[in-house]
Amino acid sequence: MSEPNGIGNASRLARVVIVGGGTAGWMAAAALSRYFNDGRRTVTLIESDAIGTVGVGEATIPALRNFNAMLDIPEAEFLRETRGTCKLGIEFVNWGQVGDRYFHPFGNFGQDLHGISFHHLFLRERARCGGAEDIGQYSMSTMAARARHFARPAPGAQTVVNQIAYAYHFDAGLYAAYLRRMAERQGTVRIEGKITQVALDGETGDVTSVTLDSGAAIAGDLFIDCSGFRGLLIEEALETGYEDWSHWLPMDRALAVPSVSPGPPDPFTRSTAHAAGWQWRIPLQHRTGNGHVFSSAFMDEDTAQGILLANLETAPLSEPRPLRFLTGMRRKAWNHNVVALGLSSGFIEPLESTSIHLIQNGIARLFALFPDNPISPIERDEYNRGMRDIFEDVRDFIILHYKATQREDSEFWRYVKNMNVPDNLARKIALWQRHGRIFRENAELFSEPSWIAVMLGQNVWPAGYDPIADTLDEHKVAAAMAQMRVNYAEIAAKLPGHEEFLRQSGSWNLQAAVGQQAQALSA
Amino acid sequence: MSVPAPVTRIVIVGGGTAGWMTAAALTRVLGDLPGLSVTLIESEAIGTVGVGEATIPQIIGFNRLLGLDEAQFMRETRATYKLGIEFVDWLRPGHAYVHPFGSFGIDMLGIEFQHFWLRGQQVGETARIDDYSIAAVAGKSGKFAWPRTDNPKSPLSKLSYAFQFDAGRYAKFLRGFAEGNGATRVEGRITQVRQDGESGFVTAVALEDGREIAGELFIDCSGFRSLLLGQTLGVPFTDWSKWLPCDSAVAVPCELGGRSEPLTRSTARTAGWQWRIPLQHRIGNGHVFSSAHMDRGAATDLLLANLDGKPLADPNQLAFTAGHRAKVWDKNVVAFGLAAGFLEPLESTSIHLVQSGIARLLALFPDTGFSAVERDRFNAETQREYLNIRDFLVLHYRASERDDSEFWRYCRNLEAPDGLAEKIDMFRSSGRIFRENNELFTEDSWLSVMLSQGICPQAHHPAAHMLDDAETRTRLAHIRDVIRQAADQMPTQAEFLRQSGGAIAAAEYLIA
Repeated sequence: MSEPNGIGNASRLARVVIVGGGTAGWMAAAALSRYFNDGRRTVTLIESDAIGTVGVGEATIPALRNFNAMLDIPEAEFLRETRGTCKLGIEFVNWGQVGDRYFHPFGNFGQDLHGISFHHLFLRERARCGGAEDIGQYSMSTMAARARHFARPAPGAQTVVNQIAYAYHFDAGLYAAYLRRMAERQGTVRIEGKITQVALDGETGDVTSVTLDSGAAIAGDLFIDCSGFRGLLIEEALETGYEDWSHWLPMDRALAVPSVSPGPPDPFTRSTAHAAGWQWRIPLQHRTGNGHVFSSAFMDEDTAQGILLANLETAPLSEPRPLRFLTGMRRKAWNHNVVALGLSSGFIEPLESTSIHLIQNGIARLFALFPDNPISPIERDEYNRGMRDIFEDVRDFIILHYKATQREDSEFWRYVKNMNVPDNLARKIALWQRHGRIFRENAELFSEPSWIAVMLGQNVWPAGYDPIADTLDEHKVAAAMAQMRVNYAEIAAKLPGHEEFLRQSGSWNLQAAVGQQAQALSA
Repeated sequence: MSVPAPVTRIVIVGGGTAGWMTAAALTRVLGDLPGLSVTLIESEAIGTVGVGEATIPQIIGFNRLLGLDEAQFMRETRATYKLGIEFVDWLRPGHAYVHPFGSFGIDMLGIEFQHFWLRGQQVGETARIDDYSIAAVAGKSGKFAWPRTDNPKSPLSKLSYAFQFDAGRYAKFLRGFAEGNGATRVEGRITQVRQDGESGFVTAVALEDGREIAGELFIDCSGFRSLLLGQTLGVPFTDWSKWLPCDSAVAVPCELGGRSEPLTRSTARTAGWQWRIPLQHRIGNGHVFSSAHMDRGAATDLLLANLDGKPLADPNQLAFTAGHRAKVWDKNVVAFGLAAGFLEPLESTSIHLVQSGIARLLALFPDTGFSAVERDRFNAETQREYLNIRDFLVLHYRASERDDSEFWRYCRNLEAPDGLAEKIDMFRSSGRIFRENNELFTEDSWLSVMLSQGICPQAHHPAAHMLDDAETRTRLAHIRDVIRQAADQMPTQAEFLRQSGGAIAAAEYLIA
């Protein structure tokens, strides 16, 4: 079962067992089987058709493109198979104040001049001329999104189109199915069955095997728990514990419902704030995904459902499906020989489309720290430390959206506006409020432009700007900024429409289009 | 929305390397700030220490920020190129290795090169890790060329370099630059420091001749005395001599002699180590030692007995304590260089600490309200940087087999600081290295020193097994060949300096 690794006493960890086959399970299986297909390791995935998957996400951030590239997935095929669309960012509606609308784009704002970050020039210009000029005019992704246009960046070419960064919207169930085919081709063994028992080693407490309802026992050296919220191995078997963050993020329910496609899909996600939460809108090729995330302490489910349905653009395609969760993270994402990925490792609401990224990040980290037998606690600790960092980064960025509000029109908004936030976030906000400074620490997930977009979009104006910006001649800066605005607007206008781009690049699923017409007729 | 007025009157106290680097950078970057004045006060009566004549690759970024012409800079400062540091007798007497700049081998299948090197050791490969570094191979052969960043396939893309120069001449060179950009130099000795009665902020310094120089932001580059930060504001010193017991040095330049390589050399001695920094016109030498384990006379004799040429001056004696000021920015005083802290120049970090301090000050440049948020961040980052460097230095002493003197036995038994112990354990158990928080030293640097100083991993990344034994050997041999051939084709350093215009004229050797 394990053969010597040559140096020291460690031996090869040969049997990887993945428990659960949703997005997390199949992402893990596709990645692991690709790199461990040397015939000396096995990757087995157990899933039960009887257990539904939550299908988190559907909207993503640009890093997913690296994951797909690592698996050599051709973009057009991927978009066709998952009915996917491109995403330039997120439009936030009613967040700072009711009636506000801003765009959190992927990619940068403007062009830095003489080493001075563009946003300082923007802040200075605003202080000089007064008024609330919109920083979105200086973002290629924002301007393209407003025009409902899309193009890929063209590396090498000298054009601001290269400031576009993008991600995808897709049907997570179809993505899992696509990855399943790939993983099985690469040698992953899929076993259908419901797990009824988990066996632990009496001495070490490690998981040794899982038993299925058929009576079959599947033994393994490393178990990957992708069983969803319940955490079949990490929690039910190992009792790892959960850290509750609901005092900062009190949302604990969601209602999800697909609706008929309204026509050509927008290249962006929309998030609309409501009285006790927010509603997502994710345009796919064949339908629109919608959901209302809310706090049950501030709103009952019937009211939430009414708000959701009242705010659909088009007819719903099914009954809203309820979900329950608790924001927080597993105390250790890796405990004994069990690594939790996806919902079993923790949950943060998908306000910034990070669910799938947290899975991807866990897989990359597991790969970087892939263990031998016995598993070294040093590597496990390092994994847990890294996962804690990224969970906390995401958490803090999400909290910012609630904390940085001027809304006081409901008990919910008064609560989040006045709550205490984690120290790191408080420090970040304080630094910003002084001179508009943002520093990205370590490998923090969200870069400076993301923080700038949300701060400015939600009306958190700093008292000043970087004093060094005053070294530049204000008239020259104003002229350069005017030129940038013209440039972004002109180029955005010339880009192809989003659907046109998808069709021309061979990314459009023609069957989906037929299905969509059928839906429209029956709706 | 009202903000305090911007800082425009900056006073730099002290004109050594730190002072003039600061003046040059501030006038360059802030020169167009309306009303800006940068005044540097120095006294010819006070000598400069001229720390660190050897540098690390980040210096290239600093010179570029200033827009310096590299050939002119090389000539003016008598500089040579540096591809790394050769460590002699550190693991045990008779052992030598190079800590090169740049990276080792090439990553394959998405995992770092060292895992394949470790796997190679299992299947009978014996080549040392140095043989997979273009900088180490070229450096040992006396060769030099600029990196090829434009061509990722060239082995030269894995190269990076720094300089060895005369710090006194560098300061003079930068002085010309700073004065040309509007810095004002004031000659004089500071006798008094004036502070605001309420806030304690420094308002002005008084000179011997009665003049007063007022300012809003004071930069303390006064050296070990730490005139403003230490003496005036009373910011305490965080003492790290427990981990780095060397507290003395004796330095002497000598005539050219011995091997001519673009490398700094560090040779371990009974109670410390000796540096050798070859410049175009002379060699800088110094002996860093622990006074608890060796007296000055013996240390000086040991230095003089180990020179490659005739000494060119009387040995210069220095005393110091490893550590840093608990806050490097307090009130309206920011310290750079020795006024901020000291770490022995084993990895040539002294000038880099000045440079990164300047960069950090510019990133957090204050207004006259001097907000605590910005200052706190500056101090936290600075502290982290000192800690990272300290840990890397301690590694050199900890990871040694030497027990031939009381000093080395002390170092061997030293308890490693937490972060360092973790790094060593991780590497020992799995060959893995993680770089935290934009740490100064890269994974390659840690790899070089850990591996070469005898920390042998018990395992490598499991995925390195994807290459079978024969394939592993073939690929490793190929990488070595490509590096060897590339190094063979590079010019010698002397040829390169002549071709690039960085060489000094023959006559200058005589008057140097």
